[in-house]
Amino acid sequence: MKQEAPILLSVKNLSLSINNNHIFNHVGFEIHKEEVVAIIGPNGAGKSMLLKSLLGIVEPTAGVIQWFPGIRIGYLPQRFHVDMYLPMTVAEFLNLKPRKILTNEAVLRLLKLEKSWLKKKLSHLSSGQLQRILLAWALLDDPQILLFDEPTENVDIEGQESIYTLLHHLQDTTGLSLIIVSHDLQVVYRYANRVVCLNEKQVCYGEPDKALNHETLSKLFGDHTVFHHHHL
Amino acid sequence: MSVSFIVFISGIIVAAASGLIGSLLTLRKMTLLSDALSHVALPGIAIGILFNFAPIWGGVAFLFLGALLIWAIEKKTKLATESITGVLFVTALAIGALLIPEESLLETFFGNVHLISNSTAYIQALIAAAIILVTLRLLKPLTLTSIAPDLAVASKISRTQMEILLLLLIAGTIAVGISFVGVLLMSSLLIVPAVAAKNIATSFKGFVGMSIGISMFSLCVGLILGNIYSINPGIATALTSSVLFLISLFFPSK
Repeated sequence: MKQEAPILLSVKNLSLSINNNHIFNHVGFEIHKEEVVAIIGPNGAGKSMLLKSLLGIVEPTAGVIQWFPGIRIGYLPQRFHVDMYLPMTVAEFLNLKPRKILTNEAVLRLLKLEKSWLKKKLSHLSSGQLQRILLAWALLDDPQILLFDEPTENVDIEGQESIYTLLHHLQDTTGLSLIIVSHDLQVVYRYANRVVCLNEKQVCYGEPDKALNHETLSKLFGDHTVFHHHHL
Repeated sequence: MSVSFIVFISGIIVAAASGLIGSLLTLRKMTLLSDALSHVALPGIAIGILFNFAPIWGGVAFLFLGALLIWAIEKKTKLATESITGVLFVTALAIGALLIPEESLLETFFGNVHLISNSTAYIQALIAAAIILVTLRLLKPLTLTSIAPDLAVASKISRTQMEILLLLLIAGTIAVGISFVGVLLMSSLLIVPAVAAKNIATSFKGFVGMSIGISMFSLCVGLILGNIYSINPGIATALTSSVLFLISLFFPSK
């Protein structure tokens, strides 16, 4: 059935260099409707930059990015530093979003958050709470695909756990497709239909059980992989 | 010597524009930029004085050139905007101080409302009103680009367009503001009110509104005090907004 679902994104031979530094080379993958694709790799492997290339935030050096025509894309960035003194409520922040399809209240309902959240100050939120507001932001234009750049730091385990529970719930209820940038192998095994291993070049691609083996993992993380991923 | 009604009204509108643009500048941590940029006007003002045309137009020309120069250098190098403006700042100040006749230096530095003609006041009011209209119309994308550039780009807002627009708005605001408070005290209308408002406000709307209000109030009080005590209104304005900032520090942090 997955094979018949329309292709939402097709990436071919994508490369990115910044000031002659190769960020990543020859990356290619596809994502179908209702699928979850995980992009994994060590720090500095170019995962976040790959996501930014897909979004048009950075211009790739070579290759083809083909989105399904008219697709609505949501983006959950890795970091969002709010100035501690920024006087802005959650509602005011959500109202900055152009081309909203859903209301603030509707999005909060999707995320099982109380309406009272709208009055909270952005600078008072914890990193986990802020991430949920960013997810609300991403959902405001009712996206068909969501690009999630997992934070590497500062989000409490509980926060991280619940964001995946939420994403999974959204996927079940709305048929949302997901591209997840992660460094956590557990996430990949649990949620992803397919995995792209990235360490400057594409080390593996396919279903997690087949694509991830001792050889590809050591190419990704070095020989101590086993210890690393248990730790995560 | 009293200030004519139209100059007074023009000053209030200019102060409103300054408070509005200032609130956006503090979001971006670009507060030094406006300060430095106002000095870039100096060589232009000097040319105006030397060649006998209204110095404001020389200032306007140099401000826009300066704004575009800062933007271009920022794109080319990896230097922070603050570092670039720091260099421009001292260079322009030195060139300006060299070219401006000594008797005009003080009023260029601290402003002189009494030199503003009624026709110039009309033009300043119109420019300031246009700045306010454009900014309010594009407040959302300008704000988003300032606080979360990646989210803005992902929402198909052109970062380049917004950055150039903001620089032009800053340049325009400074151009109409310096004849009131001078090159050195421009921050008293642009930055000090916004920072004070940030201390007090609990919402973004309140923050922008208060920044505008404090800026208008400061200039108003400055012009009146200047009139009563025969002191330079620019200096009186700067002191007023500084006092308001001090008071804002005593508000409980939100």
